[in-house]
Amino acid sequence: MGPLLYSLDIIVYIGIFGIVCLSLNLEYGFAGLANFGKVAFFLTGAYTYAILSQLGVPFYVCIIVGVLISAIVGLLVSFPALRLRADYLAIAVLAFGEILRLIVKSEDFAGGDWGMTVSPIFPYTTSSLIYRLENIGLIFIFLAICFIVVQLLANSPYGRAMRAIREDEVAAEALGKDRARFKAQAFMLGSAMAGLAGGLYAQYLGYVVPGMFMPMVTFTVWIMVLLGGPANNWGVLLGAALVEIFDRGTNIVKDYIALPVDPSDLQYILFGALIIFILLYRPQGLLKESMIRTKTLRSAHDARRSIKNKGS
Amino acid sequence: MFDWSQIFFNSFVTGSLYLIAAVGLTLTYGLSKFPNFAHAEFMALGAYAGYFVSEQLGLGLPLAFVFAFLAAGTIGLLCYRGIFQPLAKRGATIIHLMVASIALGFILRHSVGAATDWDPLYFTATWSAFDVGPIRVTGLWIWLIVTALTLSLVMHFLMIKTKIGKAIRATASNPELALASGINVDRIILITWFIGAGLAAIAGVFRGADTQIWPMTGWDMILPVFAVTILGGIGNFYGAIAAAFIIGLAENIGVVALASLGLSTTYRIGIAFVILIITLIVKPQGLAMFFRRA
Repeated sequence: MGPLLYSLDIIVYIGIFGIVCLSLNLEYGFAGLANFGKVAFFLTGAYTYAILSQLGVPFYVCIIVGVLISAIVGLLVSFPALRLRADYLAIAVLAFGEILRLIVKSEDFAGGDWGMTVSPIFPYTTSSLIYRLENIGLIFIFLAICFIVVQLLANSPYGRAMRAIREDEVAAEALGKDRARFKAQAFMLGSAMAGLAGGLYAQYLGYVVPGMFMPMVTFTVWIMVLLGGPANNWGVLLGAALVEIFDRGTNIVKDYIALPVDPSDLQYILFGALIIFILLYRPQGLLKESMIRTKTLRSAHDARRSIKNKGS
Repeated sequence: MFDWSQIFFNSFVTGSLYLIAAVGLTLTYGLSKFPNFAHAEFMALGAYAGYFVSEQLGLGLPLAFVFAFLAAGTIGLLCYRGIFQPLAKRGATIIHLMVASIALGFILRHSVGAATDWDPLYFTATWSAFDVGPIRVTGLWIWLIVTALTLSLVMHFLMIKTKIGKAIRATASNPELALASGINVDRIILITWFIGAGLAAIAGVFRGADTQIWPMTGWDMILPVFAVTILGGIGNFYGAIAAAFIIGLAENIGVVALASLGLSTTYRIGIAFVILIITLIVKPQGLAMFFRRA
């Protein structure tokens, strides 16, 4: 793969994982939910897409159905799971993801260990350059939509209620915010977005295998979110880009420098050290939680400034 | 017809392994109030430490267990001291602590992976199977069960009779009050992490001797071990004993059931996951209600 194609490939991955990061940011950053089973919903989207596309269903139906099924699975999981404490939720959803992976690994309808081929949205042309550019276009349109949705949500009264629940459940409930409903909705929307990313991922690669959906995927997304800055949508996208570039960067470096250790092991060791470092010294991530931005707040801010200026 | 005596025996073997692995997890979880995912890596490191002593130094399995216990215990202690204690002091949330433990797991697992090229290792000692009545056993399995029983008795004695055990229980149930009563809480937590990681290592060596050793030795087992911890009630040692054998039974009966239902036996590992999820949803405090004294 030439350097140009390789860079384009990285951009595709940044787009796909950017969507997953936004969805985790919605759940963890804004609603405070420890979803350690993100990969379960990513898998649901990918496998739904794969199975439907093998039946000859057009791609937009595959994507939409994938998103819907992921959302439904997310909602179903959220009913029992959201009553749980943060640590119980994390373990339960992690186990759920492993169960889903076991199912697709064992059952023939999902291709078993060998997975299945997926027909891509854009036909493989003679030029893989064009194939990648088309995918980048499509994926970044979806990324932009997700970004706008999460951004608007975060600054809306709805998002502020969500943050209030994250900060203090009891206080928020005392003010009449139904925490179970908010959390379930955040979980459902987050799962839908993860499912969307899963479908895009499956069609871009052209195949799905159970090994693509190890718990490792979830933790990579967590690293991206925690590095970039939870509750800051620009932050998590920055995190996705940095982690992805670093990930691929070490793979390139190994071709030029003889490392004493296997580069993929080195990557994980560095990621682990990085995340512990961040949690210790900068738990808010690279970019801090974004200020809430609303029209009222802005006009109040402007008014205060104009009064100040007059006074001086 | 199924051979029920064999199934029960196998359940004891599985349960014993899970129990040894889970005791440390349940104690540290109860004391430090977060699930340590890096517990898996203490098992794997223990298996490697045991391999080093038994195979490369040629000192045999008994010394391998001792060394594995001490080595993993020290690493567990250092990890707590170096990572989790500072995090907790800085007011990290439980989610941060969980992520940190996963990150620590990456560091340990992939350090081991880099050092061994991910090639599985095998203990050279072979354990030939022999028959006791209708049951097929190996010496290793017998040792595993004996170890688990001894561990249960020792832990029982430790928790009930000794000062340290009482201090551990006091700290788990109310750290502030324990501190006010003159218990050195920090020291108690460090000791518990040492013992917990050491016991994980013992489980790791058994697992390694029974199957193989590779960097994922611990991670492959961690969710069933979590299932034991949660089903038994977090921090509850007696609950863990009951839970370990329940899950051992469920797995071994489950395999038979899966086979007779015509389902793939790769679902075996999933049985513990399902128990884990059901426990969390139905009764997150697990079996603790039956073992209040612990």
